[in-house]
Amino acid sequence: MDDPIRQGLARGWKHIDAATLNKDQQYEADIVIVGTGAGGGLAAEILTQAGFSVIMLEHGALNSSSDFKQQERWAYPHLYQDGAGRKTKDQGIAILQGRTVGGSTTVNWTTSIRTPKNTLDYWREQFGLDFSAENSLEPFFDLASGRLNISEWRMSPNLNNLALQRGCEKLGWQYSIIHRNVNGCANLGLCGLGCPINAKQSMLVTTIPTALDGGATLISRVSARHFAWQDDKVQALHAVPVDEHYQPRSGVNIQIKARHYIAAGGAINTPALLLRSKVPNPSGRLGKHTYLHPSLISGALFAEPINGHAGAPQSVYSDQFVWPESDNMGFKLEVPPVHPVLMATKLIGMAEQHAHLMKQFNNLQVMIALLRDGFAEQAQGGTVELDSHGEPQLDYPLTDYLFAGAREALLAMAELQFAAGAKAVMPIHADGQLYKSWPEAKAAISALPMAIYRTTLASAHVMGGSNMAADASKGVVDMQGRHHQLKNLSVFDGSTLPTSLGANPQLTIYGLVWRNSTLLANWLHGNQ
Amino acid sequence: MNRRQFIMTSLGAGLGLSLGITLYPVLTASQSSQQTAAEMVFDAFLPALLMGALPADHQLAQQQLLATRKAAIEFLPFLPVTQQQQLAQLFLLLEQELTRLALSGNWLSLAELPVQQRLSLLSGWRDSYLALLQQAYCGLRELLFGAYYGQPPHWAALNYQAVEFNRYG
Repeated sequence: MDDPIRQGLARGWKHIDAATLNKDQQYEADIVIVGTGAGGGLAAEILTQAGFSVIMLEHGALNSSSDFKQQERWAYPHLYQDGAGRKTKDQGIAILQGRTVGGSTTVNWTTSIRTPKNTLDYWREQFGLDFSAENSLEPFFDLASGRLNISEWRMSPNLNNLALQRGCEKLGWQYSIIHRNVNGCANLGLCGLGCPINAKQSMLVTTIPTALDGGATLISRVSARHFAWQDDKVQALHAVPVDEHYQPRSGVNIQIKARHYIAAGGAINTPALLLRSKVPNPSGRLGKHTYLHPSLISGALFAEPINGHAGAPQSVYSDQFVWPESDNMGFKLEVPPVHPVLMATKLIGMAEQHAHLMKQFNNLQVMIALLRDGFAEQAQGGTVELDSHGEPQLDYPLTDYLFAGAREALLAMAELQFAAGAKAVMPIHADGQLYKSWPEAKAAISALPMAIYRTTLASAHVMGGSNMAADASKGVVDMQGRHHQLKNLSVFDGSTLPTSLGANPQLTIYGLVWRNSTLLANWLHGNQ
Repeated sequence: MNRRQFIMTSLGAGLGLSLGITLYPVLTASQSSQQTAAEMVFDAFLPALLMGALPADHQLAQQQLLATRKAAIEFLPFLPVTQQQQLAQLFLLLEQELTRLALSGNWLSLAELPVQQRLSLLSGWRDSYLALLQQAYCGLRELLFGAYYGQPPHWAALNYQAVEFNRYG
């Protein structure tokens, strides 16, 4: 099977594995980009093609389809932030984020949804961000869709997704078929472990190879530590290599100078980098208002095998409850892939109860409800702080308002799963049980104590923390992702989102970054 | 206060002090004693957590327990350093408390502590009013279940097989 990464390296791509460096290094380029995910990867291609010399930095390693092992025990430590063990400060929410070349796009489940109109309306009202008329993101969504082969999934949903669809049909709830960024997908269900056949059109196999073919440099296994800045300009980026466990190590210093600096390390790491750099923060919003789409999980047992590990992980979603007429917290309904570790760590109970559920692994249908945070006063997200090692911790308080939404989400998922034909349903909650009918589940879930550690919460979408706003008093960057105070610094990742989205974020990031990279290239050309 | 409540309370107080104020035992304990403590804690809880999942054959079950302990130990360095330090602190304290529990129950060693009692200890943490004990329960459970179900030889009961494009190991 062709491996575009190994082929590119053989052609002479400029790749430096920082973990192998043993003395200080200095580099220079027109533009340095920290992070190679949806934001950094796309920006690298656009800016290289615009004629700029680009250096990309990535904390993770350069892994390709020849390296990916189709087992969670390899994928989580090597492709995910903190070995997939990242959590909020009080450990109340588990967070999945990619950490490898291509970032989360290398391991995400390919769901591609344009920014909901309600979200854009809210941004205009609250943050002065008018993405309409000549500022519309639609042309950029079209460009990204063309570049990454984003289109509606035409194959039959796997049975895990089909249960979501059937339940919606039975109850008359809204549902949509998901658009996916794939080309030649064999419906394997391995997206979260790195696509072994390069069908997923992640940054790893699309924009990053183009940038490297265009002369860009990639430095992997490197941790960006801080920007040195003076007055209104960044003067240098300081970084260090990481060790075999991806921990920053001392002894070798890397300094990179550039005309322009782009932070694109994701919505936890970018605010952390800016906090370590002590950049100006007159709005006080740096690291604040970090959103997660905190997600509830509901398991269901079906008489027939569901095999939720096989087939496209996400191909159907329901927006029935995303934008409720009440002030309650909205939530989006989707399903996750069902692999052994992901399931075993989330399933309720221990000993025989847990083992009994795991033995019915193939008959488990699993649903998730993503709470839409960042809109109501009572759901203002979390705060990125630095620990004593300078590493980020996300303090995300769990409010009564959020738990009220969580209960509604568990109820909706149970109703849907029974409507789809489940024999029994169990909310993933320390006090949850297997319930054999919707009335029984409804009564039990209505009485569950909704509290931290008892209610299992997870997230795969981190947003905010360096939010954009037209007015410098309300945000860290402007509508073009340019830092309000430091003129040669941009932020091109999910941290610029002023709220969560009510949709999976990758396509929103592609649209924004395509627009902002193009504007940045024009500005840099005009200022040479 | 019964014996379990006493253990829970003293353990909670120990954890509170350790995570909130000082990392003294971690800073003074050698790398090897930290690993020994972790292994002892894993050895104590794995047979309880995995009851019903382990094969009936004793020798095979022992092999799976050792493989799981090894996988859990190998995973720890991928966690953030702060989290590693907190876990190391937890393991050192648990090692002491488990030993005390075994001795106060007139068992000659931790290995003789009945599995049901180990499960009761875990349930006690899960249902504790102390956040730190609840965290300890959630963290240990996740780490150990992840380490067990990450391994193909343990998938037989699941009837699950991973498609293999590139060989592991």
